[in-house]
Amino acid sequence: MAQRIPITLHVNGHPQALSVEPRTTLLEVLREQLDLTGAKRACDRGECGACTVLVDGQPMFACHVLAVQVREREVTTVEGLARRADFQPLLEAFVAHDAGQCGYCLPGFAVAAYALLRRLPRPDAWQIRWELVGHICRCNAYEKLVAAVQDAGRRLHPEPEDP
Amino acid sequence: MPLHVVGTAVPRLGLAEKVTGAARYTADLKRPGMLYARLLRSPHAHARIVHLDASEALRLPGVHAVLTYRDVPQERIDADLPVLDAVVRFVGDEVAAVAAESEALAEEALRHIRVDYEVLPAVFDAEAALKPAAPAVHPAGNLVGGQWLVVERGNVAQGFAEAARVFEGTFHTQAHAPVGMETRAALAEWQGERLTVWKTSRAVHAMDRPILARVLGLPLEHVRVICPNMGGGFGNKDESRVAVLAALLARRTGRPVRLEYTRAEEFVAGRSRQAAAMHLRIGVRADGAPVAIDMQATMNAGAYVATGMRVTRRVGQGALYLYTCPHARFRGATVYTNRPPGGSFRGLGAPLGHFALEVLIDQIAVALGLDPLEYRLRFHVTAAGQPGQRTTPPHELLPDEPVEGGVPFSSNALRECLLAGAERIGWWQRRQPNGTATGPLRRGLGMAMGLYKGGVGREAEAEVRITPAGRVRVAIGNVDVGQGSATVLAQIAAEALGVPVDHLDMVLADTELTPPAHITAGSSVTLSSGTAVKLAAEEARRHLLEYAAARLRVPQVRLEQGRLLGDGETGLDWRSVVADLPGDLVGTARVTAGSRTHLINAFAAHFAEVEVDVESGRIRVLRYVAAHDSGRIVHPRMAENQVSGGVLQFLSIALREELYLDPRTGVTLNPSFLEHKGTSIVDFPPIEVLFPAPPDPLAPYGAKALGEPPVVPVFATIANAVANATGVWLHQVPFTPQRVLQALRAQGKIPA
Repeated sequence: MAQRIPITLHVNGHPQALSVEPRTTLLEVLREQLDLTGAKRACDRGECGACTVLVDGQPMFACHVLAVQVREREVTTVEGLARRADFQPLLEAFVAHDAGQCGYCLPGFAVAAYALLRRLPRPDAWQIRWELVGHICRCNAYEKLVAAVQDAGRRLHPEPEDP
Repeated sequence: MPLHVVGTAVPRLGLAEKVTGAARYTADLKRPGMLYARLLRSPHAHARIVHLDASEALRLPGVHAVLTYRDVPQERIDADLPVLDAVVRFVGDEVAAVAAESEALAEEALRHIRVDYEVLPAVFDAEAALKPAAPAVHPAGNLVGGQWLVVERGNVAQGFAEAARVFEGTFHTQAHAPVGMETRAALAEWQGERLTVWKTSRAVHAMDRPILARVLGLPLEHVRVICPNMGGGFGNKDESRVAVLAALLARRTGRPVRLEYTRAEEFVAGRSRQAAAMHLRIGVRADGAPVAIDMQATMNAGAYVATGMRVTRRVGQGALYLYTCPHARFRGATVYTNRPPGGSFRGLGAPLGHFALEVLIDQIAVALGLDPLEYRLRFHVTAAGQPGQRTTPPHELLPDEPVEGGVPFSSNALRECLLAGAERIGWWQRRQPNGTATGPLRRGLGMAMGLYKGGVGREAEAEVRITPAGRVRVAIGNVDVGQGSATVLAQIAAEALGVPVDHLDMVLADTELTPPAHITAGSSVTLSSGTAVKLAAEEARRHLLEYAAARLRVPQVRLEQGRLLGDGETGLDWRSVVADLPGDLVGTARVTAGSRTHLINAFAAHFAEVEVDVESGRIRVLRYVAAHDSGRIVHPRMAENQVSGGVLQFLSIALREELYLDPRTGVTLNPSFLEHKGTSIVDFPPIEVLFPAPPDPLAPYGAKALGEPPVVPVFATIANAVANATGVWLHQVPFTPQRVLQALRAQGKIPA
């Protein structure tokens, strides 16, 4: 058995005292130790975006980060975002536009889109595409995802001329 | 009768929970004391295990069990698939299964299992595997079933004798990896002699439960299978050893066990649609009308055939039925090789056969000096169906994949699809004659048609239960594989009942809570389970109306949009009258979907504009229009999403996706999203989706199949657009830059 290291992670605002192996990814800790399964393991090697979480507000692939690397840093998963008021317009837009089919990629898209809208409040369709290009949806619900994120931007940051 | 729910865009059931991570998929589940499993896979394409020693692995602390072929039941999962075997048949074939305290530990244990192999000769090519001296992948020989599949209408020899001209071509398609975002997974737990399995599945009733019961020697009622949510089906994910091995490990260890494929395993040991080599001959009369169509296909099934025979059968669907033609034949061979196992993928064989058919038809039209669209408008199969004599006895349901003539379609809006698509893309105004474009970037317009049956012949059941709590519980055994059938079935149930969709609780994909159901495959659920749920809901409504009338002391009431209406009663909420019900009001239905008088098929016509860079060989898709006849559209936004998604999914298969196999070793070289690139969010323009068809008279609320039809014409549409741009028809998918340049050089369109 490999050596285990005690660490503290701050996940969705709560400190979590954990014991992990040096090789353990953030994704594995979230899913298997904390039962936060919103971040999906679809490739486990940084190719698809399904495991995206925020680390100090920045989107990261949780499968590409070791748990020991994010000690004392603020980790926010989709479960944490789902409780925030400023996530609700995004969620509503996803549902209104039918953005998704099987849904497995959606938490990753939603976390990345949330971070995107904080940086670019009203992105156009091509900004959204290039910002989300690291996320794969095998159902190819891309058109609806782009529409939803654009709409969420308008919902979050309305301008006077908006209907 | 105006419809209130069918045809509206209610929120997709469960979508919000999927976005927030609240929805659990199989690999998200945990049970107390759960162990993790990993599989040891064969490094050889074909070998016999001569020595196997797992004792060192078992000595690792935290490793609880190792299963090999010596430890498993002899009963097979499929006719050609033992639980584990002493012979391995592809690189990646399962050799042993380990259960341990963590996945990392199980993975480590795999390295401590010692296996000595006697390497056997391997064969990777289907044609080579059919030769007498080829290594036998299975003892009964490499031709699956021992014979070619042959179906024929009329007499093709006679048809060719009547033909003024005969055209032919050979076409190839690659193995197609469906690779849903969720990999295969199963979690097994025993309570005494009772087994519960949560699993990625398309058929908890029709496949998983009976297979587990049979292989493990359990009564059916001791096995419960649940698919909590499916992270993408695409016609795949059923056929595998995952559930059986998890159950056996759980039994051996006395602990729940979860087994989850990695992405690489999903690429290699999932099931890819088999590669096809097709030869097509079409004889036409002087006016261009097809008089004989003869297609032959050799399918590379890989090491295990799984649902591959159904794929083969569907290769012929277009050739047999898309054009009015008295003489048509399809012959198909499904061949074992030592490639990773084949199986089904969205559209089964239809996208392959339609590729060959629709490209050759394009070539014929141009050779005869006819516009390809004009040719199709003139000769596509009409509502009358094919000429010839019906062979199905009159009292029997018509078969799901017919060959015979003399049977009309219930509806056929191919013409409307052709005209609507042509109008949208500007076919008549903008299309240049083939190969007249010049310069390094050449643009062209192309099109292709498709037809697809869905749901006919399937047995389906539904139970609709009105409870005193004022809810409606709808139980259907199908799995919503992500395509949205739970929502569509809820809409049908709500419409038939006369209540809003949010009064319903949908229960699917749990063998304990739902009546038996067929596999979610072949675009069948709307027609089959849709018919069942409509009947069951209508029965439940009759019970409710009788009860309400008696209780309100009125002769008669109606139920509309959740309100009871009748003499003197204006708009009473139905839920207010059921509180005192002594028990549930139940409607049930069991149907075999289909018709004795008409064929029920979906149709499509696709149009694309592409730009071919004749210096680099790169194809860019500039526009894509997909016009579909799926009868009435139950949910316009989801339907548009599904068509757009299907087209986008197959555009990258058309242009680049391919699993590369090392021809010497049989090792899959690119089993990852990085090296096997599917469609990304920046690759293609928005797909323009049209639904110009009227409701079907026989389907529930007029709704026909939609899941697979969007993928059927894609390859041919792109190939024909490339031909319009360059004058060269590509006969091999994917249309990589290298193949484009090769074809252009070979036909003298660019300097060699």
